[in-house]
Amino acid sequence: MTSSPHLLADDVTVGYGRQVVLDGVTLRVDRGETVGLRGPSGCGKSTLVRVLALLHRPDHGRVSIDGTPVDGVRYAVPVGLRTRVAVLFQSPRAAADPRLSLDDLIAEPLRAVRTPEPTIRERVAELTDLVGLTPDLRARRPHAVSDGQLQRACLARALVHRPDYLLCDEATAMLDASTQAHVAAVIRDYQRTQHAGVLVITHDEILLNRWADRVVGLADAARTHT
Amino acid sequence: MTTTERLTAPTPGRRAVRRPLLAVDGLGVQFRLRDTRMHAVTDLNLTVRAGELLAVVGESGCGKSVLAHALLGLLPGNATVTGHAVLHHPDADPVDLVTCGQRHLARRVRGRRVGLVPQSPATALNPVRTGRRLLTETLRAHGRRREDGDQLAVDVGLDPADLDRYPHELSGGMAQRLVTALALAPDPSLLIADEPTTGLDRPLVDHTLDLLRRRCDEGSAVVLITHDLAAAQRVADTVAVMYASRIVEHRDADQLFTAPTHPYAAALLDALPDRAFRPVPGDPPMLTALPAGCAFAPRCPRRTDICASQPPPTAVTGGAVACHHPITTGAVT
Amino acid sequence: MADLAARPALLRTARSRLRLRPGQAGVVTAGLVLVVAVVGSLLAPLVWPLDQSAVALDQTRSAPSWAHLAGTDDLGRDVAHRAVYGLRVSLLVGAVAALVATVLGGVVGGIAGTLGGRVDRILMRVVDTIAAMPHLLLGIFIVAMLRPSLGAVIASVGLTHWLSTARIVRSELLSLRTRPFVDAAINGGAGRRRVLVRHLLPHVLPRLALATTLMIPHAVWHETALSFLGLGLPPHLASLGNMINDGQGSLLTGAWWASLAPGAVIVVVTLAIAVLAARWRDRLDPRVRAELHL
Repeated sequence: MTSSPHLLADDVTVGYGRQVVLDGVTLRVDRGETVGLRGPSGCGKSTLVRVLALLHRPDHGRVSIDGTPVDGVRYAVPVGLRTRVAVLFQSPRAAADPRLSLDDLIAEPLRAVRTPEPTIRERVAELTDLVGLTPDLRARRPHAVSDGQLQRACLARALVHRPDYLLCDEATAMLDASTQAHVAAVIRDYQRTQHAGVLVITHDEILLNRWADRVVGLADAARTHT
Repeated sequence: MTTTERLTAPTPGRRAVRRPLLAVDGLGVQFRLRDTRMHAVTDLNLTVRAGELLAVVGESGCGKSVLAHALLGLLPGNATVTGHAVLHHPDADPVDLVTCGQRHLARRVRGRRVGLVPQSPATALNPVRTGRRLLTETLRAHGRRREDGDQLAVDVGLDPADLDRYPHELSGGMAQRLVTALALAPDPSLLIADEPTTGLDRPLVDHTLDLLRRRCDEGSAVVLITHDLAAAQRVADTVAVMYASRIVEHRDADQLFTAPTHPYAAALLDALPDRAFRPVPGDPPMLTALPAGCAFAPRCPRRTDICASQPPPTAVTGGAVACHHPITTGAVT
Repeated sequence: MADLAARPALLRTARSRLRLRPGQAGVVTAGLVLVVAVVGSLLAPLVWPLDQSAVALDQTRSAPSWAHLAGTDDLGRDVAHRAVYGLRVSLLVGAVAALVATVLGGVVGGIAGTLGGRVDRILMRVVDTIAAMPHLLLGIFIVAMLRPSLGAVIASVGLTHWLSTARIVRSELLSLRTRPFVDAAINGGAGRRRVLVRHLLPHVLPRLALATTLMIPHAVWHETALSFLGLGLPPHLASLGNMINDGQGSLLTGAWWASLAPGAVIVVVTLAIAVLAARWRDRLDPRVRAELHL
């Protein structure tokens, strides 16, 4: 095992009630690489993302970031640690507060950590530029933009804290081919320039092979624990 | 080899002798909004023949779902529909879906001659009835045996035992398969499927697509509305590419996927991960503020001065594309 | 039965129609009624003062006429005149009681919905227990403890009507908590308080305000019922409930008008509030709202 910085789900087991969703899954994402995860729907891929994003407490096993194990989930995780792993969810409609304009949506994580307004404006402008949102779109609320435009805003929000790791949970499944290519291009570019670790979950084999540096199946991940 | 491999090759000769089932002529849909008008469908012409699977593809918000709802008379009250959409039937008089009125649509057309697989199954299912009850009711109303229900469930890839569950006990994918079974129960001659594969994983997507393909091979027609180009490539006979409320190109699937002639169709195909994986630059225009000329011109590599001022010709099935400068084979860009 | 799949879309169509076309007339009428009722009861003491205890025994139970538009009651008091003042009291009691109920329900529901777990279970059992008692009886009990007065009526109505509000707020918060946008906010670094203030409450408050509005008619009826039973305001004060109660006796002697005017005022004003609230609810429903933008 190399000691390069990585995000690790170590022997993670999660069950809802009597049903075991993840059984001893170990998955490692190094900085600078894009890992593709495949597996049939309902096999726990989304649960694994929630565990890695420190949003769901595993019944067994733990998550560590760059070698530091993280205890606790959600609010209990220090903000500085929480914001190092960002998530891009499948449905931008569900993941965006319908009351906020796209600009406010992207700025919200910065406001949450009390960033000065001029810095926020600068960063939001930079990101909207990156994902290709025009000033006209930036002022609109989610209901007035398309799924593709909203997912791009969600991507900008996910990148706003310059996370070391980005988890994409079927993030392009609902998008048309053009937006999918756009979102993937932005993420690949970010991964290269920031030396970030990216986890891509999708059922689209062609997309996975085109996008990821290496592909693992969730079944394999479950078997690889030591 | 790949999942996009075609199941059946389109046989133009076979379709040529088939009669047209649906003839859409100059269809337009406008919505009155608070301070503006939205053109969701503009000057749309289409012919769907019996046995044909037509895929309507395009970016989200291009008007493809509105087209489906317009054909079924399911648009909200602030919509105005113009033009004609004539549904033919061997044993009945042709019906113009635009002018025949809600009563006729509800009693004679919807769910009988034209079926709909809706986009969001969760809201389309009665929450207090099991899948079996919903299915049996529909089968009985159409003079079919309740035993056909199990076969229908199997056809759509649903375990017949799951029919005894209530809608909230079904996963999104299972609900999607149930509404597909419900839409197929009356054996409609035309099925409109609005993103029928949402929430399904690849094997089930393929299963659903193959099911639609089989229906067409048995002589029904299907209009498949989807953002998934791979799905269209897998099963469609013809593909209509929609952009900013208009069909810009409509031709045989294999022709379109190998040699698209509209620059937008070409750019959209280039975005596929097994091709250039390159997005179409820019954003589609708002349907409330469509430009005077070609709506794709601002994003088009082939645009000239005429594109900004003159609307392009109307696309015709298997013929003209809505472009001033279509890509011709061997032409220099 | 034929188009099961199409049915919700049809429902939606019908609903949008209602909202976009004819409904307008009803809403405008309701708005006018409410404006007249509120402005009228605010200005009444200035333009048409009433001596609450004055009687005119020489003109008891006179039928409606130009001098007395709604007739007079068994003490010769002008029914129309007193109905205006009755409405004034009813609206005051209704609005304040609804506000009391909303604050109480909002706080209880808010605590249960944000903390969840054991606190939620205990608070909701309390709510269930109170809800199991007939609320008019409970209201009477409260008035009896506090002695009949304006404050007692408000307390009685407010303390018996907060249960549904608490349930609405709680379930709204519990369902919002699991939405991905809340996950996204936590992932972005937002703390408990920020999620509550920025992402949860803004979704709950409009519904809470709507619940308050829908409660005003209830509160008005409740006040009327208490007064009708003689447990509301002091009998000489003009309240709609008192007037209907007073009118009972006259009714037997054929003077139907003494109860008619206050009764009609209640029906018309509460209907107007309900119509406006229903309209507002339609506008709040995100699905209906999204329909316009498709």
